[in-house]
Amino acid sequence: MFKKVACTVPGNHRHLPYSAAFPTLRPAVLTENSEQTQERRWTGGGEEVDGGCKEREVAEDVDSVKQFSSELIVEAVVRCLRVIDPPLGNGLSPTLPPGMSARFRLGMSLAQACQDLGYKGEIGYQTFLYSSEPEIRSLLMFLVEKLPRASAEASDQPAGKSALLQKAISAQVRAQLALPWVPPTCRLPLLCRTQSTGMSGIFRSQALSLPYSKGLGKPPVKEVSDYYRDFLLPVTAQPSQYASVPASLLERHALDLSAAQEWENEWNSQGLLTRLSPEGYRSRKRARLQKRIEEQLRAAAQPHPNSPHGPHSGPDLAEMLHSFGGATTGGTVLAKGTRFTHTEKFTFTQEPETSAQQMAAAASVMPSSRQSEEDLLAQQQDELQALQDQLKQLSIRMEEVGGDMKQLSVSIAQVSDELKQRELSNGEKEDSVRVKKQTIDLLPDAENNLAKLQTLVESSAKRVISLASQWEKHRAPLIEECRRLKELCSNRELESSRKLFEIKDLHDKIRQSADEAKKKEGLYKQLITEFENLPKDVSRCAYTQRILEIVGNIRKQKEEITKILSDTKELQKEINSLTGKLDRTFAVTDELVFKDAKKDESVRKSYKYLAALHENCTQLIQTIEDTGTIMREIRDLEEQIETENGKKTVSNLERILEDYKAIRQENSALAAKVREA
Amino acid sequence: MENLTGIMIKLLEKLPPSECPKFLHRVVDGVCGRDPPRLRDYGNAWSLTEWMELLDSLSSFFRIAVGKKYSDDEVEESLADLGSGQRDAILACLKARKEEVRQGLVERTNGVSSAQLQDFDWQIKLALSSDKISSLQMVLLSLSLDVKQDGVLKPVSLELNREELQTLINSLEAANKVVLQLK
Repeated sequence: MFKKVACTVPGNHRHLPYSAAFPTLRPAVLTENSEQTQERRWTGGGEEVDGGCKEREVAEDVDSVKQFSSELIVEAVVRCLRVIDPPLGNGLSPTLPPGMSARFRLGMSLAQACQDLGYKGEIGYQTFLYSSEPEIRSLLMFLVEKLPRASAEASDQPAGKSALLQKAISAQVRAQLALPWVPPTCRLPLLCRTQSTGMSGIFRSQALSLPYSKGLGKPPVKEVSDYYRDFLLPVTAQPSQYASVPASLLERHALDLSAAQEWENEWNSQGLLTRLSPEGYRSRKRARLQKRIEEQLRAAAQPHPNSPHGPHSGPDLAEMLHSFGGATTGGTVLAKGTRFTHTEKFTFTQEPETSAQQMAAAASVMPSSRQSEEDLLAQQQDELQALQDQLKQLSIRMEEVGGDMKQLSVSIAQVSDELKQRELSNGEKEDSVRVKKQTIDLLPDAENNLAKLQTLVESSAKRVISLASQWEKHRAPLIEECRRLKELCSNRELESSRKLFEIKDLHDKIRQSADEAKKKEGLYKQLITEFENLPKDVSRCAYTQRILEIVGNIRKQKEEITKILSDTKELQKEINSLTGKLDRTFAVTDELVFKDAKKDESVRKSYKYLAALHENCTQLIQTIEDTGTIMREIRDLEEQIETENGKKTVSNLERILEDYKAIRQENSALAAKVREA
Repeated sequence: MENLTGIMIKLLEKLPPSECPKFLHRVVDGVCGRDPPRLRDYGNAWSLTEWMELLDSLSSFFRIAVGKKYSDDEVEESLADLGSGQRDAILACLKARKEEVRQGLVERTNGVSSAQLQDFDWQIKLALSSDKISSLQMVLLSLSLDVKQDGVLKPVSLELNREELQTLINSLEAANKVVLQLK
């Protein structure tokens, strides 16, 4: 009736402070600035897959992936696998076993699982046991990319209503916990509401008297309007306690609303189909109800010989039934046809006499009870006894007389039947006698009479025929008309039922659209609140600026690169031109010197020198070029060496050898055991 | 009826006719289930016993007059001995409040069964945590029913969780279905 929502924490549950920290699903380790993140939790996987499994905290002193131990890596990978593919991950244990071969097997199966998921990089059991930072980083990045999106998106999407409510509750509780407790006398009104003990009051509703007229058409009676104007208290002053005003109002409203709704439902579901006006439907329903109740009461009023109350209650009920039936015809039409008014009808209006009598009796007993009670009691007892005796005698006599009456009525019925039969046979006999009398009268002049009779018969036959033809003439159009009307009628029926269906459809549609609208409105409100809750200070500006900066940097770098490239090209060009110049110069010099060399011996010598010089210079250039390429190769190789050194291949190899040895030892030990066994 | 009017005549005439209508309307309020008038507002006019008798007789007069559907003439006839001012006041009050009194009588007749639900109230409580579980988030409904049993108001309090509430609602719906079938 009265609705309210209170969020309280019952006393038997211990109050715990609300933790605002929600476990993040994505481990922060794998983000860009992973070296700096302090707290890492692998809670996402652990919670979803296996509630009983204890989650592992990354120790405080581990600052980067480089410092991850093998155990940590294995556990991280297994938990991720469990979230990504539960059947695959559940077969793997998150703890590293002690035996070498078991470790090897776990590592191999982990590597296999990762490859099944589509990991492209190099992976083997050594990746887990003897980790290198870049490998582990790329593996974990890959796994985190593979984590199911749905759970990650859950935090981005508009949270459900319940989540919002819980958030609001937690915020409220936190706020209330933050307030200090204040003694009752010092409380401000705000604190009174949250810190007072127990409920603020019991909500109880009372009937209200409201000035609204039921029959809208009729002008209100003068006395009624006088009452409304002069004596009716305002609604807030009517209940005895001020606290029950809202409860009473809400109750009244709910009552009216439910009555209207019920009527609407009933009218739409059943009333429309009867094709009656609302008043007609109500009166029919009332008649049906009355009949039902009457039947029920009649059945209950049948005297039961074995029950002690039977003979006493019988006459009372019979009397009531009588008055009930009498009032049926004079029942007033009430404006509302709901359950409430129906119960009211059958409980009161239809039996006013009886109940009024009972009330009068009760009322007359009340004042007298204040007089000398003992005398009255004794007197009443005596009277009661006498009356009961009398009642018993009377009822016995009634039963006797009833039996006699039954017998008599049965014999009366028999006699009347006989009488009817006799009358019938009498009539038959009279008819036959009349016919016979007429024939006897006609007998003396038989021939004439016969002829007369024949003509009579013929004429009557003719008349019959003519009448029949006339009838046919009349009948045909009438039948036609009848058919037409029938058709029209059925057409109308069809039409009306079609329209009824349409109306029903429309009602359904209206309801559906109303529901939909309500739902959408709710969603809209939720989204609005969420939008308001979103932090406003994160601006696009900063992001765009950063992006622009980065783009500018890239452009600068590109310019530099093109500059260097053009430098290189220029250099190349210069080199080419110089080489060409050199060649040409050499050719010219060579020719000049060669011409002179034929004439002069010393010039020949200089030509030889020139040739040698040229050759040496070419060799020199060649050597310089070779040195450059070698230098480049050296640099490449050095880089390669560095990367290989990063992979710790040697130590890994040593470790693998050791592992191999350990496995062999274990194997031999196992074999020895087998042999012993 | 005679007896009642006799008492009424004696007592009601102690009140000045101008105050009569207001007093009568408060008496009818009492019949309709709200607060009856208080003696301390009229303390000078009557003693306690007189007050009780007056209230009783007036209430039963209104009940009978509405219950038996007295016509105006019948009412006037039964109040023939009363002063004209008081009689008119009673008549006007009766005419104005007939429907409400009838409603009140219907309520009384409705409440013939031994126990009747008079009113109910509910509160939703969200248990955030318990001494064993840190995050419980269990919704509890505390339902208080006012049951009138043999004329005595008896409070009944229940605490239900979701399933128990569903069971309660289901059984109430089944009962409602039976009532609907009766219609």
